[in-house]
Amino acid sequence: MRRLLREPLGLFGLSLVLLVILGAVFADLLTQWDPTRINPRDRFLGPSAAHLLGTDQLGRDLFSRVLHGGRIALYVALVSTAISLAIGIVLGLIAGYGPRWLDNLMILLFDAMKSFPTVMLALALVTITGPSLTSVILVVILVNVPGYARIVRTQTIAIKSSEFVTAAQSMGASTARILRVHIMPNVIGPLVILASMDIPVVIAIEAGMSFLGLGVRPPTPSWGSILNDGFGQIRETPWIAIAGGLPIIIITLGFTFLGETLRDVFDPRLKGRG
Amino acid sequence: MLNYAVKRLGLSVAIVSLAMFLLFCMIYLVPGDPASVALGPRATEAMKEAMRVRMGLDQPVWVQFWNFFTGAWTGDLGEEVLSGRPVLDVVLEQLPYTLVLIAGGISWSVALGIPLGCWAAINRGSFADRLVGILSVAVIAVPSFVVAIYALLIFAVTLQWLPAIGAGEPGDVGDQLVHLILPSLAVGLGWVGYIARMVRASMLEVLEASHIRTARAFGLPERLITYRYALTIAILPTITLLGIGIGQMLSSAVFAEIVFARPGVGKLVYDAILTRNFPLVTGAVLVTTVIFVLLNLIADLIVGALDPRVRSSF
Amino acid sequence: MTNTYKPGLSRRSFLASTGAFGAASMAFPNMAVSQDGTILTLRSYSDLQILDPAFRLSLPEDDIIRAIFPPLIEPVSGDVWEWKTVAAASIEQLDDLTIAFTLKDNMGFTDGYGEVTADDVKFSIERMADPANESPYAGDWAALKEVEVKDRLSGLIHLTNKFVPLWTTTLPTPASCILSRRAVDEIGGKIETVPVAQSGQYLLHEWVPKQRTILKRNPDWKHEPGGFDEIHIIPIEDPATAERGFEAGDLDYTWTSVSSLPRLKENPPAGSVVLEKPSLAYVWLGLNQDNEALKDIRIRRAIQHAIDRQTVVDAAYFGAAAVGNGIIAPGVPGSRDSVTYDYDPDKARALLAEAGAEGLSVTLDILNQSERLTAAQVIQANLADVGIACEIKQNDSGTFWSLGSKDGDYFMDLQLVLSRFSMQPDPSWATVWFTPEQVGVWNWERFDNAEYKELHDQGLVESDPARRDEMYKRMQALMDESGCYVFLTHEVVGAIHKDTIEPGLKPNGESLLSDFRPA
Repeated sequence: MRRLLREPLGLFGLSLVLLVILGAVFADLLTQWDPTRINPRDRFLGPSAAHLLGTDQLGRDLFSRVLHGGRIALYVALVSTAISLAIGIVLGLIAGYGPRWLDNLMILLFDAMKSFPTVMLALALVTITGPSLTSVILVVILVNVPGYARIVRTQTIAIKSSEFVTAAQSMGASTARILRVHIMPNVIGPLVILASMDIPVVIAIEAGMSFLGLGVRPPTPSWGSILNDGFGQIRETPWIAIAGGLPIIIITLGFTFLGETLRDVFDPRLKGRG
Repeated sequence: MLNYAVKRLGLSVAIVSLAMFLLFCMIYLVPGDPASVALGPRATEAMKEAMRVRMGLDQPVWVQFWNFFTGAWTGDLGEEVLSGRPVLDVVLEQLPYTLVLIAGGISWSVALGIPLGCWAAINRGSFADRLVGILSVAVIAVPSFVVAIYALLIFAVTLQWLPAIGAGEPGDVGDQLVHLILPSLAVGLGWVGYIARMVRASMLEVLEASHIRTARAFGLPERLITYRYALTIAILPTITLLGIGIGQMLSSAVFAEIVFARPGVGKLVYDAILTRNFPLVTGAVLVTTVIFVLLNLIADLIVGALDPRVRSSF
Repeated sequence: MTNTYKPGLSRRSFLASTGAFGAASMAFPNMAVSQDGTILTLRSYSDLQILDPAFRLSLPEDDIIRAIFPPLIEPVSGDVWEWKTVAAASIEQLDDLTIAFTLKDNMGFTDGYGEVTADDVKFSIERMADPANESPYAGDWAALKEVEVKDRLSGLIHLTNKFVPLWTTTLPTPASCILSRRAVDEIGGKIETVPVAQSGQYLLHEWVPKQRTILKRNPDWKHEPGGFDEIHIIPIEDPATAERGFEAGDLDYTWTSVSSLPRLKENPPAGSVVLEKPSLAYVWLGLNQDNEALKDIRIRRAIQHAIDRQTVVDAAYFGAAAVGNGIIAPGVPGSRDSVTYDYDPDKARALLAEAGAEGLSVTLDILNQSERLTAAQVIQANLADVGIACEIKQNDSGTFWSLGSKDGDYFMDLQLVLSRFSMQPDPSWATVWFTPEQVGVWNWERFDNAEYKELHDQGLVESDPARRDEMYKRMQALMDESGCYVFLTHEVVGAIHKDTIEPGLKPNGESLLSDFRPA
């Protein structure tokens, strides 16, 4: 941990992330404006003391919407990552520990899932399920699970035939115990690092889908939908687009710098994953 | 090599088949009459009836899948509901624009990434190196649609240096290239980072290698060493990287097409979703998946031909 | 039913026109020198779907239909409602029940269907009026008895009773467009997307669905030609995209969105002219009275009181449009200065409590267009204020315009809908869409009122303007009382064109394709 703090880039990344998280958590304290409060007479105002980032086409305070948008982003990031990890671990363990044919089949499945360009997958899915935050989470899960599952599977296979495990098996340990005691601890580390590096991608997916109008519904403030409003009103004022894009940039940079540093510090083996 | 090629091709076919299977599953797992799901709410009753006959809904599911499957592989993706034209025709009409956009993106990535990576490798450890490193990470991090909108905002709306909309006059190559600059930048900027890092890393590896030291010992000029030998080696992983990158670039291309109002498969799918033109959505998604897998395959085959290590490890 | 007319009509011009339409007009318009090889590129807001005048769906089709199947008369371009002859050589009203017309000589149908004769006029008009054909525009000829053919080129139109809107909303529209009897009978009685036997100033040369429609000058049109050699119509649904297309130089002329007008007027792009015309259209929030959740009239009246109409309109149009108080715009008889309910959230809450409708949740369907979305979000906020949760559903135009149709399966589930209808310069053209016959057709609120229907029928024969004014005001009051309508605005029409062309527009900003000329 101390090593991490000594890396300036990592520190920078960490501070950006904390900035956004704190902003989201304390949003109600930091601004007096309700993010969905409409005030059309005050539309398209530029930044000022009263409205730190200005107002949008309905007169809603942009700073407040940005802070609350952080909540959506973090909610999606946490929930979908958690679920993806859970599913990925289970699938990976099954693939690694189970019979060979199952393993091959699952590998094929994972590769096929990864072969869909993300946006296409999102569009195809939303066509059927309709736009909503749940659809976004579903897309993220489908995108992330194959990657996690593969890691777990690789580690499982590597460890499966190691001495610890054979010894444990000869002592009569159950499969569950072996999974829990021997395989999991070795797998968690790289997973956590990868997950944290995937968070900016997750947030980008949510923002992207909301930008296309396939994610959150109005008037919920997601950074992507703010950016969409900004894009539509780009000739009236640039501030809405700036307000929407800035937090996305900040958090993706933050998590990426942080993630890179974490990886460099804890597990340089993963460097090649690109 | 042939062995590798065959295996790789087999994998591609398997992947595409699986993609079809997944799309098929989506159609059937969603509650409701599969013909309605497949055609969407805009279809007329007559179309749905025709679809039910084609799908053979009275037959066992695996027979239906087989029909869907063989149909898709032979290019019969059905007709889109709004004009009745074959989906494949509609998609193939728009495909070239997207491919051009991706090619443009690759051009940007390579044009910026390789020199930056080189420069960083040569000046290793210096401030310049660190800067390139940080910038590489930064451009990878920022999502492409944000880049697209900010590029539009800065260069097209505010400075008015470049056009904001469309693909340009058909037939006028110069005009089309000008219209291509910003969108392809949005598509390719992320990969500048990856390529810069990859080039830097492989160049560093190579610059220390024995035959380079030998060349130096022989007094060959440093520049020659760098560019001729090191760079040639660095190209290889770059191609692999691009192979992976194409999928992401396809996603970025969708956003670029929407932001810059360009024709292309991405815009096609997006409009099809908004107009509930489901056969077009599923058809376009399949076609792009096939294209993506194909491009990946080509990239892998090129790398396999150039680098024996890859072939043996497959 | 045409959806988005935006007519511009001043009080003066309307009064002038009611006088002018009484008189016979035999004037031939001045022959313009024909231009060569010129192409006009303009935008329509939707692609064509049906080219049959009796079954047309939208204004863009109207424009094309009048170019390829000539109407007897057509409005003159400009700011005053007058008309000029197109297919007719002469036409005059002999008495209250008889109109005499003579066709121009030398008009021929394409595809070998011979000369245009008075019998074809008889066929075209009678088929639209015939209830068996179920044309949504049968109301335009509601007073038709029959068309009598006198000789090859002339005939008499006989009415069963006086029909006041005849010269404003029937004759100068596709209601008098001429189709070939032989051709239409041969193809089974209805034209879809392939026009047969065209005879107008232009011919449909090519239609690439969703991409472009190309009209070319009809070489066999022997009378006044259209201004341009070729007209390319590009369907672009979203006005913002159209504006950008114009700025990119891809279009010569397009309507703009209302909310862009202030900005465009202040800073017009180089080489362009920005127009603003007063509008006759009407925008309103409709409530489906047959929907389960909205059956109780107190709930509907509560919603009327909950909406801050001024803010909705101001927010949606960036101040460019004013609040409207009905379906009839200023300048037309029947226009009102106010509605019979006020903005009163407390009253709304009280009514909802009385009806036991706490926690009510509704869906608002809108066209996926940015002004509608903005308006919808204000409505959503207003409703949230009185305790109603409102979800906004955006629809593309194809889906939207069939939401309330009894042929679909959504019409009973439809709850709130934000809609806009276009208009012609006669009040009956607004009230006709809310009669009981239109339930499940264009009357999505399923408003069913006998007094309203009676008043509407009377309005068609009443020629005293003061009496008419009262009647139409009463009809709108009835609409207020039903709780099915919250009137919002009449918008304005914004248009932008290159200064190298001179657009031919009706006073309401709608296009007269043949009257566009190079500047």
